[in-house]
Amino acid sequence: MRGRRRVRRMTGPSGIGIGWRPEIAGFVAELPGLRFVEVVAEGVPASGPLPPGLTRLRDRAVTVVPHGVRLSLGGAEPVDPARVAHLAAVAQRLDAPLVSEHIAFVRAGGLEAGHLLPLPRSREAVDAVCANVARAQAELPVPIALEPIAALLDWPDDELTEADFLTEILDRTGALLLLDVANVHANARNRGTDPLALLDRLPLERVAYAHVAGGAEHGGLYHDTHTDPVPTAVLELVGALCARRRPPALLLERDGHYPPAAELRAELDALATAAGFPAVT
Amino acid sequence: MNVHAASGDTWGISGPTFLRYYIAAAILVVAIAVYYRVRLATGSMVAMTAEPLGPQQVAYLNGGPQLAVHAALGGLRGSGAIGVRPDRRLTTSGPAPSGLTPLEQAIHWAAHQHSRVGDLPRDERVRVALHQIRNGLAQRGLLTDDAQRARARFWTTILIALLGLGVLRLFSGLFNDHPVGYLLLTVVTLLIVTLVLRRAPMLTRAGRAALRGVRREHTHLAPASAPAYATYGAAGAAMGVALYGTATLWALDPGFAEQAEIQRQAASGSGWTGGSDGSSGGGDSSGGDGGSSCGGGGGGCGGGGGCGG
Repeated sequence: MRGRRRVRRMTGPSGIGIGWRPEIAGFVAELPGLRFVEVVAEGVPASGPLPPGLTRLRDRAVTVVPHGVRLSLGGAEPVDPARVAHLAAVAQRLDAPLVSEHIAFVRAGGLEAGHLLPLPRSREAVDAVCANVARAQAELPVPIALEPIAALLDWPDDELTEADFLTEILDRTGALLLLDVANVHANARNRGTDPLALLDRLPLERVAYAHVAGGAEHGGLYHDTHTDPVPTAVLELVGALCARRRPPALLLERDGHYPPAAELRAELDALATAAGFPAVT
Repeated sequence: MNVHAASGDTWGISGPTFLRYYIAAAILVVAIAVYYRVRLATGSMVAMTAEPLGPQQVAYLNGGPQLAVHAALGGLRGSGAIGVRPDRRLTTSGPAPSGLTPLEQAIHWAAHQHSRVGDLPRDERVRVALHQIRNGLAQRGLLTDDAQRARARFWTTILIALLGLGVLRLFSGLFNDHPVGYLLLTVVTLLIVTLVLRRAPMLTRAGRAALRGVRREHTHLAPASAPAYATYGAAGAAMGVALYGTATLWALDPGFAEQAEIQRQAASGSGWTGGSDGSSGGGDSSGGDGGSSCGGGGGGCGGGGGCGG
């Protein structure tokens, strides 16, 4: 079983959260009802002083979940032990109840892609992901939640459906699911499929928390930009998800083009309303 | 080597006698100078109000009148109330927004008259507003009192005069081949004490503590974390300038900062050191924090200069 070492643990993420970024640390610090944030794990040092904003949130007993982006769990080669060790150290420092990473690869054959790339949904890919997740789990002090990423295109040789692919990985690794509602919207929108059908087929009881982000349409394709407001369609999908089974927590991801504080608060409030959680503002 | 022969005494005073009086005088003057210096830093005991410090007040504490002007510019620019014309003169985008501080009102008016940023500290209304800020801070016991500072400076001057006398005697003694070891020791000690007491601080201890407190609460505005000024609003931009210098203005709006000829400068953070009233702000460890984010292409620090007087 995971979590062999017993650690003092914060409660799991709950309610409405926001992605903590240095750029908006002052805004996040001022949210009175906030109980949960997520932080990019690679941006937190394994030793030395923590960013002061994070320390203050920890003092307020706000749950901080490290979110890895460079582990490359979907890579054909084994995960880099140093990167796993860093993620584990950060989880320990932040008393995190869990960590999260993407089902994606960011490097192959020694080349860094610089961003998250989708995997072909083949049995071979499932094996590779499961092996890497197991390697990470062996070193991590807390459970891991896995996040599928948005893909503008399907690989031509996909053997499994999106839902089967995810379910298979989760079943075999015992990992939790980090469901990105905006990705579900993006994938359905760009492939012309029904997002609700996907929700119906996903193991919603395994969702640790959900991501919600903004996006924009360019050239007939929906882009999950994280720099635009959350569209109504995504909020409606949040409502549909919560009607089926509400995740313990939902997190607003904003990674740039930060709007005035009032707008950002309105986004958080709209998300709270859509999910039926109390407002954090 | 020399036996003290009264005839050969420098200035007709024997070495030991001079040294005795000299040391006595030095101790007395140092004691007085230290007393006034300590009193200066302690500040007059004024009841501290709990009212939080605004960005311009913080800027005044951190970098004097010049930084206060820049902080007000940051706030006005952050809210879009002012702009700059191609001829590098300021301009306004409409009537003054409500809720402006007196300094902001003065600068908004000056911008309406198409003043240059470099001329703002000499503008009459701006000067009056700056004076108000200064008085308010002095009343709260955060800035040292002018009269007290003058007194502290006076005693440091006496100390320097005494030092001069000692050096003079030292050289005379050397020329006449008298032993000067003890005098040299005394003069060097006095020199060190004088160097320590030389500067009359602008901030009281309470002022420095207040500045530290504000800085601790606003670490998120450090240029190194690329603050989202759109989210923090005009007040955040103003406080960013107040605490982290004009590097914030450059990060906020490089186009405006360059066109308005605002020198890029990171505030030292240790508080206003006085200097020649005006031009240089609080220290000049320019260049911002490690690369930070600053948009302004080219990176060439300082820009076209021409700031202040």
